[in-house]
Amino acid sequence: MENQLTSYLTQLLDTSTNQKGLEWLNKQVEKINTEGAPSKFFLAFSQASRFFKKEKLNLTKEKLESANEFVSGFQPQHWDELQTARTVLMLSYPQEKEAWFAAMNQLFETADMHEHQALFAALPLMPFQKDLIPRAIDGLRTNISLVFDAIALNNPFPAQYFPEANWNQMVLKAIFMQRPLYRIQGLEERRNPALAAIARDFAHERWAAGRDVMPEIWRLVAPFMNEMYLEDLKKTLATKDEPQVLAALLTLRESAYLPGKELLETYPDQVATLDMDALAWERIGSEFQRTRV
Amino acid sequence: MYIDPHIHVVSRTTDDYEAMQKAGIVAVIEPAFWLGQPRTEVGSFKDYFSTLVGWERFRASQFGIVHYCTMGLNSKEANNEPLAEQVMELLPLYVGKEGVVAIGEIGYDDQTEAEDKFYRLQLELAKEVDLPVLIHTPHRDKRKGTIRSMDVSEEHGLDPKMVIVDHNNEETVKEVLDRGYYAGFTIYPHTKMGSERMVEIVKQYGPERIIVNSAADWGISDPLAVPKTADLMRKSGIPEEHIKLVTYQNALTAFGQSGQMDEQDWLNAAPLDQTKKMSGNSVLRGGQTPRVEGSSDFVEN
Repeated sequence: MENQLTSYLTQLLDTSTNQKGLEWLNKQVEKINTEGAPSKFFLAFSQASRFFKKEKLNLTKEKLESANEFVSGFQPQHWDELQTARTVLMLSYPQEKEAWFAAMNQLFETADMHEHQALFAALPLMPFQKDLIPRAIDGLRTNISLVFDAIALNNPFPAQYFPEANWNQMVLKAIFMQRPLYRIQGLEERRNPALAAIARDFAHERWAAGRDVMPEIWRLVAPFMNEMYLEDLKKTLATKDEPQVLAALLTLRESAYLPGKELLETYPDQVATLDMDALAWERIGSEFQRTRV
Repeated sequence: MYIDPHIHVVSRTTDDYEAMQKAGIVAVIEPAFWLGQPRTEVGSFKDYFSTLVGWERFRASQFGIVHYCTMGLNSKEANNEPLAEQVMELLPLYVGKEGVVAIGEIGYDDQTEAEDKFYRLQLELAKEVDLPVLIHTPHRDKRKGTIRSMDVSEEHGLDPKMVIVDHNNEETVKEVLDRGYYAGFTIYPHTKMGSERMVEIVKQYGPERIIVNSAADWGISDPLAVPKTADLMRKSGIPEEHIKLVTYQNALTAFGQSGQMDEQDWLNAAPLDQTKKMSGNSVLRGGQTPRVEGSSDFVEN
């Protein structure tokens, strides 16, 4: 499986403009495979930046679809060439558990920004995934958004493995850092009452400080709608700010809470124009990212 | 546009970064050095090196400044031999990283045997990974220490063009330039050079292979030393192309030999926009509005 995955990733890098890089990569892979000395691996991992650019991969539709066959939720359309090359190197390191962790721990602990990005985004492709949960949780303590995004966004790992408390901390930090929530995999499925309450507290804190609230956070409260949340949504509707209003209406539409439905009926025109949930939230989220100061 | 090719920005504030950016500094090089007191654990070195290629690089980028660094074991701390051995094992993990433009700052402090040993080992490392070398010349017994640094470097077969000898003064500059090295000058109040003396040196020796820096750190120093010195050169009638060479181009040429520093890094950088580019909480806490204009007299919400 690792070998198939490695050759799949290598194929993604096989463009006419980068034959030199590919040649270098193949040579390094062979060295790493046969020599087993971590120093060669570390050096190649760093020096990959000399051979590969941070340009997004150019994927065909077929290639994109087959990504999901390797790992459910794997989205290489968000990957760049450099991190792909680094992932090939990482997967080429002999996967004998103790030695593998010794090398990877050292790599994680000494990584620069883009190396961290590569490593964390590749968590769902790594072996021994359950043992990597603490590493992923620790990685989220970064204040570098590039690194945070590598774990939190377009990555199936957190939704699959994080205990509820850590999941909630990640989503809250994403809100705090104003990251696009619609890019968090499993966001809807892993909503929970505690997270809804945290999101509400956060909104109130923002309001108290005279600041706007990121509209996407209301998506977290829909399944737990009650009188309290309804008051928040009324306040959100009163902003008359379009993304805010749309977010509130989407939340009311998804919820089965009766007083909420009644409120929804007073906005027939806007409701008629709403997209399907996922699409509408994506629109709200990307619009917010585009326009925020 | 200026480059400050020697500044320890980990010890500077965000106000400094803002002022540097406004004064026209587009790129900085942060040489690995000591922290004002000796470290006692190898882990402190590891985290420091990681900061240089990680957080500090990111922090600088938020102010529109491209951050590079040099990696090395400084001469002061080379004197703790058991620790120095461990640091030497650590260095190969960092020298190949993005934005590492030289091995440095290395060389002599008290010119002890231990300093000599680790200086030589690092010259060999620089050769192995084909990186330039940044030499720190000693405060005390400077002239002899400077000459010895060059002698030893040549003994190890390094091309002078790959070596930047730093912290020069009127007593060292001639020999350093004559032997084909880049000569760094640190504009640092009281202990090293002042701007006026720097102007005289450029007048006397011309701009070739001369590099001006601030070496600003946690001491009384000036992160604007490079632009201030350039201004003084202008007022003193030094031609603009000479100013450009000593405050920008020579540093780029010398450290660019690493293959890790390219003008395009700042010429083609995304326009400075702290929030959009860097996203919310970073050096900007909780949706704080970035200050692009001058400081205001109240703390913004």
